[in-house]
Amino acid sequence: MGPLIPNGVIPFEWNNIIAIIIGIAFGFILESSGFSSSRKLAGVFYGYDFAVLKVFFTAALVSSIGLLYMDYLGYVDMSFLYVHPTYLWGAIIGGVIMGVGFVAAGFCPGTSLCAVAIGKIDAIVYVIGIMVGIVIFAELYEVFQPIYDGYFKGYITLDETFNISPYLFIFLFTIIALVTFFISDIIRKKRKKVHHY
Amino acid sequence: MKFEMNKFENSRLFSYRYLFLALLLLIVASGLLLLPKNNKQQGITPEALLANAISPERYMSSDKLAHIYVNQDPSYVVVDVREKEEFTTYSLPNSINIPLPTLLSDDGMAYLDQNQYDIVFVSNDDFKANQAWILANRYGFKNMHVLKGGLQSWFTTIINPAKPTEQMPAEAFETYSFRKAASMYFGVAYPEEVKIIKKPTVKKAAPKKVVVPKKKKKKMPIEGGC
Repeated sequence: MGPLIPNGVIPFEWNNIIAIIIGIAFGFILESSGFSSSRKLAGVFYGYDFAVLKVFFTAALVSSIGLLYMDYLGYVDMSFLYVHPTYLWGAIIGGVIMGVGFVAAGFCPGTSLCAVAIGKIDAIVYVIGIMVGIVIFAELYEVFQPIYDGYFKGYITLDETFNISPYLFIFLFTIIALVTFFISDIIRKKRKKVHHY
Repeated sequence: MKFEMNKFENSRLFSYRYLFLALLLLIVASGLLLLPKNNKQQGITPEALLANAISPERYMSSDKLAHIYVNQDPSYVVVDVREKEEFTTYSLPNSINIPLPTLLSDDGMAYLDQNQYDIVFVSNDDFKANQAWILANRYGFKNMHVLKGGLQSWFTTIINPAKPTEQMPAEAFETYSFRKAASMYFGVAYPEEVKIIKKPTVKKAAPKKVVVPKKKKKKMPIEGGC
């Protein structure tokens, strides 16, 4: 049956409308659970708040477990799903830049827009910074292109790379997540609590 | 003091909730490991296979194949799925022999798993070629065709076309003349088409007698000298 749009259950024209509705819901929930506060977000780096780690790790697990069950029961054909291609060094360098920006400003790109929506000045500065970065990247594209296009590894997934079944991989991943949550809780209790608003 | 108490209770409550959620996640994830294995449908869906099977693209007539040969269309690859002995006895020109049992070997797959060429499967009749077609289609390969009627039909239509009788429509005659021309392309000789071209005998022109005029000496009257 699924995915709904590629299989024509929902007409293709609804694609953008559904994306906007999901985006609004996502932004609303991010903001209402305090993710537009840079103190909360940066807490994961300083060890006083691990909400970011827990929320996004859990989201990835819930969706992948749900997808595997639905694939098993025939509701979703997982071979239809988009697998992001791996450009190895592009991903590593981009990840480092993203991490530095995250810890310096206290936002990731998505949450910064949430914070702009509620009028936070630091977030507005951050988004201007994103725009400047985009312009720099676009202007120097020819310099960055070998990294951006190179080191292409194809549409690889972890379970195929390690040659284990996706079910076993997700089970191991769940255990890793739970252990990480447990350790992060121990670290958090040792730290002084920082209030965010 | 009251605040402290509240805080303590809150943290206990949360830890129970967390514990419950963590256990739930673990149980659901370990449930994935315990799922009995089911054989999932590999390749394209049955609906897509059915749609391909009833598509007119599936069969290629021998006339069309002959057209492709005559025009030397490079976008087609003829794959002969008969056994090697049969292939060596007779085969279509430029066809590739991949016997049906070896179709899914690496060598065979190299020809099938591409997007550049149209593949035409050929066997004695449709039967083996259709088996190859089904296998290739279930892998999701594109542009697969079967020679309708196989080599037998190739013989009865192209190599040895039946002459239409007089009450047949004009198209039958057109088809016949095309088939006849095609079979001549493949080296079939038709006695009635062979015109004995008489070489015009070139008459040798008789060598011209070259007449060298001899100067007749005129007898000059002897003139008197001095």
